[in-house]
Amino acid sequence: MAATESLGGRILAAALCLPGLAEPAHADGAPDQGLIAFKYLDYLDYQPGRERVRIRAPSLHLLLPLSSRWALGATAIHDAISGASPAFHTRAISQLQDERHAADLTLTRFFDDASLGLTAAYSNEADYRSRGLALSGSWSTEDRNRSWSAGLGLSKDVINPVTRLVVDEKKRVLDWTLGLTQVLNPRQVLQLTLGHNRARGYLNDPYKVSHERPRARHATRLLLRFNQHLEDGGQTLRWSLRHYQDSYGVRAQTAGLEFVQPLPWSFSLTPSLRLHNQRRAAFYVEVDPEAAPFATQPPEDWLQFSLDQRLSSFGARTLGLKLAWQPTPDWTADVKLEHYAQRGDWYLGSGSTGLAPFAARSWQVGLSRSF
Amino acid sequence: MPIFHHPFPALGGRAEIVLAAADEAEAKRLAQLGIDEVLRIEHKYSRYRADSLIGRINAQAGGEPVELDDETLALLRFADTLHLDSEGLFDPTSGVLRRAWDFKQPRLPRPDELAPLLALIGWGRVEREGKTLRLPQAGMELDFGGFGKEYAADRAATALKAAGVRHGHVNLAGDIRVLGPKPDGQPWQIGIQHPRQPGKLIASLPLRQGGLATSGDYERYFELDGQRYCHVLNPRTGWPVRFWRSVSVVAPLTVAAGALSSLAMLKEADGLMLLQRSGLPFLAIDPDGALLRDAIH
Amino acid sequence: MRRPSWLVLLGLLGLLGLSGLSACSITPVQPWEKGLLAKKAMGFEADRLEAGFAEHIYTSKEAAAGGAGVGASGCGCN
Repeated sequence: MAATESLGGRILAAALCLPGLAEPAHADGAPDQGLIAFKYLDYLDYQPGRERVRIRAPSLHLLLPLSSRWALGATAIHDAISGASPAFHTRAISQLQDERHAADLTLTRFFDDASLGLTAAYSNEADYRSRGLALSGSWSTEDRNRSWSAGLGLSKDVINPVTRLVVDEKKRVLDWTLGLTQVLNPRQVLQLTLGHNRARGYLNDPYKVSHERPRARHATRLLLRFNQHLEDGGQTLRWSLRHYQDSYGVRAQTAGLEFVQPLPWSFSLTPSLRLHNQRRAAFYVEVDPEAAPFATQPPEDWLQFSLDQRLSSFGARTLGLKLAWQPTPDWTADVKLEHYAQRGDWYLGSGSTGLAPFAARSWQVGLSRSF
Repeated sequence: MPIFHHPFPALGGRAEIVLAAADEAEAKRLAQLGIDEVLRIEHKYSRYRADSLIGRINAQAGGEPVELDDETLALLRFADTLHLDSEGLFDPTSGVLRRAWDFKQPRLPRPDELAPLLALIGWGRVEREGKTLRLPQAGMELDFGGFGKEYAADRAATALKAAGVRHGHVNLAGDIRVLGPKPDGQPWQIGIQHPRQPGKLIASLPLRQGGLATSGDYERYFELDGQRYCHVLNPRTGWPVRFWRSVSVVAPLTVAAGALSSLAMLKEADGLMLLQRSGLPFLAIDPDGALLRDAIH
Repeated sequence: MRRPSWLVLLGLLGLLGLSGLSACSITPVQPWEKGLLAKKAMGFEADRLEAGFAEHIYTSKEAAAGGAGVGASGCGCN
């Protein structure tokens, strides 16, 4: 049998649903088990003939139920970044080396049908320091078929590039989300999330030349996710669709599909596909092939301009494959491989030109234990 | 708070409700709530009573569908889960086999006695539409033998808890649901019967809460030519399972413990992996009498 | 305050629509039918560290950002 959850757990869950047997007023969300998880990422991106950024990042997540009503969650990550990044478009690639530490701590209080969480987060690297606080809550109907979620986050960042191009620049970000998760039938569940993000302050990348972004950026995203369980094979399909647009003029659509296939001996294989289509920022300066080897000059009357590849028009696709093993209900091990490719001519429309095709490969390996 | 015992006959065996209360009168009143609930379920789901719901459904086999209430529909859905997860080994229509196996006399049925009975078994053939159920062929039978007694124990416990009982347990002929520890906080010592020595215990488990259910080859059986034939019958072959002497499982609900112990018995040797991967404490006694246990000391 | 964008309005309309629609036309799923929904693969919050890596990687390679949760801190990667 290709089950990855314990049969005992399923029978118990089914038994709890017999009339009059479940404990009344049981706080649904409060975890009764703790969790410790470790995951390691090895990421490398490149363009033809040139490796770019390499990231090696171990990360740790801990979830600790403090009582039947309280839980504490913590995440920590250490990015070791090395390699090179283009100073403009996909040229003038210069060395970079950085280390980033980030961590967050969340305290959650559970009520009968709701939960409230407070998160404190920070991220530190040589040239960038971020501190943030977020409040998130959820409320669900008694039968748990529908639940609302809302969140509000604020962060303050301080930027001090090692080149001292600018000193002590600040950036403030406000982010809110509103979401609804609805169970459609015993095999399907739908989730819609609306999010809005407002950033103010220094938004440039100080290591890129000829870069003057607006000092404010407002962005909205709408995310639709749909999970369905297939009767015959026990597989799960996970669909997602996101529309994004911001005040830079960027409009993007992202679609994702994951297919979880249970295998014998508690293994499961999940191939995944992600497609991203992005329209450039209004102030993105297209590559002028005549200007090589120098950076393209932005039109004279432009107050804002950027030669950053990330703000260009392109299409991107990610192919992923994840293998997971859950030999006992408490232990899970997984490994995931992904390949990402981004090209201007994959844009649905006229994409950005003159940029070297960009690709990345990554693998992640993880281990987690419930206790 | 003193502890009071209330034995009563139910479900073809000896049952008892033990609880702590202020005085004897109060204890009797509270115990009666539990006893009433057990008897209610027995009257509704007993296959030995013609006037029970099960009796009516079985009488109308091959005839008209029967309209069911929410409680029965919920129990049928539970049966679906067990049937699905056991790949058909657990089958609520397998009760017809007792017509060939009468454990009061040591006699093996002939193949021509079993074949027509096997043809009457098949949970997948039972017609369910909306709130109705119909056994498509006359002679087919439904019975909740695998989990009915355990469900009654859990329901009695709920009734007692709702009435405020915090210390006690419900014991239905070996399937037990503990409501809470003794008044001094100590656990109840729940005994597991020895499968080969009647009247003796093979183990004693301290339980503060939760359910303990046991399936064994010693409850109803006969022995012929040195071979034991017990009442747990495989619905595919029509013959008794022949591996575990006894399987006991501890779970938060007795009905879940009972389902798992029954499934382990039905799966014979493969039942061990099922028990180990269930994540629940268990005690199993293999054909040689050796004790296998996990998280039970 | 600036006029909210059409996407925000669409999103709010969608949330309202989904909540209103389901109240009358979707049969509520009973607790004893929830076994499959409880599987880890059917949840939206399954692997937090994997989601964290994905968000981190895509935010530094693309202009669009944001998933289902609220952001609490940033990094110098975009």
